[in-house]
Amino acid sequence: MAKNQIRCSNRMTFTLLLLTGLVFLLAPQSLTNKFQLAFARIFRWPLSIGRNFSLAARTHQPVKQMLKRSQMQYQNHIDNLEELLRQERLKVQKLSGIRERLPLEGVNLVLAAVSMAPEGLKNELIINRGSDDGLTVGQFVLGDNSIIATTSDISSRTARVRLFTDPASKIAVTVGTSNIERIMQGNGDNSATIPMLKNRVKTGTQVFTRKKPGFLDAPMIIGKVAQSERNKESPLLWDITVEPVCDIEALNDVAVIVMNPNK
Amino acid sequence: MRWFRFVALILVATLLQASLLAYWDINPDLLLILLVFFAVYCNSSEAIITSFTIGFAADIISPAMGPQIISFGLFGTALVYLNRVIAIKKMPYQAIAIFITGILIGTLTHWLTLLRAEPATKNMFLMLLGTSLYSALVGPFLFLPAAWWIRIKTKRF
Repeated sequence: MAKNQIRCSNRMTFTLLLLTGLVFLLAPQSLTNKFQLAFARIFRWPLSIGRNFSLAARTHQPVKQMLKRSQMQYQNHIDNLEELLRQERLKVQKLSGIRERLPLEGVNLVLAAVSMAPEGLKNELIINRGSDDGLTVGQFVLGDNSIIATTSDISSRTARVRLFTDPASKIAVTVGTSNIERIMQGNGDNSATIPMLKNRVKTGTQVFTRKKPGFLDAPMIIGKVAQSERNKESPLLWDITVEPVCDIEALNDVAVIVMNPNK
Repeated sequence: MRWFRFVALILVATLLQASLLAYWDINPDLLLILLVFFAVYCNSSEAIITSFTIGFAADIISPAMGPQIISFGLFGTALVYLNRVIAIKKMPYQAIAIFITGILIGTLTHWLTLLRAEPATKNMFLMLLGTSLYSALVGPFLFLPAAWWIRIKTKRF
């Protein structure tokens, strides 16, 4: 009798907990994200210590790494200016007379520390800035002068940013000096793909995000072409793999581009 | 079961998983190891509760909530009942249990994540295989400190 009661109790516990799991599974993500953001906010201190420790352990030559990173930052800045200059020349050619803004002119850059990267897919970051700091969904995130992500979920003091390498990320880009807009989608393995291009693109060619009114005033570098391979379904077309131009995992701080800051 | 110690252990494992281990390409899954540990050494009612709790902790640090609570809960409970039939007391058996449970949990989590219309990673199954193998190699050695912390006698069979 007692045994039957215990068995029944186990079944009941299992059923209740399974139902709880189903509720979490079927609940809207905006609701369940609050648990994750609250966890990141409450434990941001131990999380950032662990993260820094892990990154420090992985860095064998700190000075060399720092120099390489600085070089990467300058290179990204130069690429951004060169792209802007190219666009300016096009504008002059068209005699439009419209003055283009510098990429970050007049915008509010909200600096944020990276609290944690959710385990598993590794294509998202949680930062310690939120709606209280003027963040909204869809804003671009900078790392080492290059676009690395967009904000995806916001709470009052934390936000989740989706890297452009995340499979759910789709960003309008241009490749090299071409003005044709393409959609770049993340692969989930620290790279993204621009599918169905007519021509093969040289490895190392810069990829720029397109201007997006209200979010980005001028094109900015997002990555470089890592390889071009023929599309499996249409062999006449090319799929381009794009890799970030900065070491995203090593970033401790990022900046969110807030175009219309609340004054 | 000392529940306060259990919560502290899960919290530490979750923080380590989300910070220290999250930046390795392939890492051992501490929560998976703890799931198998509690399924093997606790009584059935405690093991069911710990399985779902560990699943919740795994979901907190993953991109979407829900899939891992169900996966950990289901396979943790299955392991409890399997442990009644086949005693998983030797280290090689524990390693095999961790490996198989890891693969099953990862696969179910993958499908449930797709059900939520979340996109999947390209090399997901390769990463899953690596994580399960790594956890299986490391896991049995972590059982002893975990048993000491929870004050469980490991030689109960």
